[in-house]
Amino acid sequence: MRSVTRRKFLASSVLAALCGVSGAGVAQPHGQQATPWRNWSGSVVANPAGRFSPSSEHQLADFLASTHGQLRPVGAGHSFAPLVPTEGHLLVLDQLTGLLSYDSSANTACFAAGTRLSDMGAPLARTGQAAINLPDIDRQTLAGATSTATHGTGIDFKCLSGYVTELRLITPKGEVHDLTNSSEPGMFDAARVGLGALGIVTRITMQNTARYRLKQTTWVDKTSDLLKDFDRQASTHRHFELFPLVHSEYSMALATDETDEPINNPLQSPEEEAGFDLIMQGWMKVPPGFRGPLVNALAEQIEPSERVDESYKILTNVRNTRFNEMEYSVPLHNGAACLQEILETIKEQKIDVVFPLEYRYVSRDDTMLSMSSGDEDHAAISVHRVAPEDYRPYFDVIEPIFWKYGGRPHWGKIHHLGALQLSQLYPRFEEFRSIRQQLDPQGRMLNAHLRKIFGVDG
Amino acid sequence: MKNHWYVMALIVFVVMGAGCENSEHDVLVEAPIKTTAISAPGPELMRLWMNSCALCHVTGVGGAPIVGKFDDWADRLGQGNELLLKHTIEGYNNMPPLGYCMACEKDDFAALIEFMTVGTP
Repeated sequence: MRSVTRRKFLASSVLAALCGVSGAGVAQPHGQQATPWRNWSGSVVANPAGRFSPSSEHQLADFLASTHGQLRPVGAGHSFAPLVPTEGHLLVLDQLTGLLSYDSSANTACFAAGTRLSDMGAPLARTGQAAINLPDIDRQTLAGATSTATHGTGIDFKCLSGYVTELRLITPKGEVHDLTNSSEPGMFDAARVGLGALGIVTRITMQNTARYRLKQTTWVDKTSDLLKDFDRQASTHRHFELFPLVHSEYSMALATDETDEPINNPLQSPEEEAGFDLIMQGWMKVPPGFRGPLVNALAEQIEPSERVDESYKILTNVRNTRFNEMEYSVPLHNGAACLQEILETIKEQKIDVVFPLEYRYVSRDDTMLSMSSGDEDHAAISVHRVAPEDYRPYFDVIEPIFWKYGGRPHWGKIHHLGALQLSQLYPRFEEFRSIRQQLDPQGRMLNAHLRKIFGVDG
Repeated sequence: MKNHWYVMALIVFVVMGAGCENSEHDVLVEAPIKTTAISAPGPELMRLWMNSCALCHVTGVGGAPIVGKFDDWADRLGQGNELLLKHTIEGYNNMPPLGYCMACEKDDFAALIEFMTVGTP
């Protein structure tokens, strides 16, 4: 059953405790095993004792205040890091969705935290507003995206969490906190990127801007030339990013700017979509050493393309092909060197990957744990591997390169850092740990991954 | 200059789906869901469907079979409901595990599959 009552939750927690079970075999109160949970790529699997989907904030607060079992919130399951797995209950906010209120004069809007990013654009447009920036994928819930500092690209734009002006946090004890920069600022700075470790975020007010339209231009050029010119392009365009084509000398560049031009964003045909997987499979059969010359020879034939649409339709994309991803944000001045070393390593070691890298800029912010928190802007670099291929041999080679350049791992993506390393990367890490301990002294919101991140025994 | 499909495949890889997403947003948020010709699901099932399956099974994004389009489902149903359920829970090709329904249990998925395939010959 999808939504358990508090009594059922207690009963199943007791059963789990009595049986001393770990994962599979945890019984539902009515004798049924809960359906296993998997993330979007399928690489992270869990066997929760059950699922709880509150129908209101009041019900959630009551539930938290009157129960003691382990909990993990889940949004859309788009994290590649094991943030969600629990032997306790999954907490799903799929009933807490939608636009709750808005302020046209301030261009702010409050959404229930379970709202998917993809369900925010149209309601916001009807109020005359639009998100200032959005990530590449918009299936995530607002709480999931902000809690992991999910970001788009643009040297002048912060991650989503940087645009949160107010949020409601219900602590593991069931206490309700309405947090802003002026009320409980420390807790506000922590909870904007809280990894679901401080409690449950149930509503979020975002700073938006007036509705706008974007024109995106795409072209292919030599990576070395694009990197030399990157800072100029990034400061010239509203958004600028690269997708370096591995094993080649070329990258795809995307420049995006506001426009008043008419909408021109043709749909991808079913034939194009259906043929894509086949083409990718074909690429993967070409030995890595031969891909570069092929791509290099063909890249210069690519014509630039343009599309125009509402901002939220340009900034985000559907990623049909499932993949696993590692992303680190390095200080801006290290970005180009880090990217080039990764590309050279892939080529030298003939790593069998066809998935392009992604290279973006993200502005600094004042949260505690965003990858761009603090006094420096960052360059975010992503590597991907198609699921269900084993990503580990590839990512294991690349991750130390990120470390060498002072990279901070994206909280929702694959990494292997623990509390010791993270505390050296984040000046306010100890402050966050203190707030977490204060709000959840029993650690009911922690799983194995979070215990490693925050250095909590258990 | 002429576009070449080999490299365009990689380009599509990084920009793909934008067009599909556009129509999907509009369908999800602005258009009413037509159910009368398919079945009469309860409000709870419809809510689950709206929050998850509808993300892909309205427009067919990623090759998803479209709800109510019987031809899309016939071969899949021919493999048996158990296999459909397994693919739903574990993921299959472009379909993510759990089909974006984090709250669903096995029975919910079975009901959602039944809802989307009712009437398929």
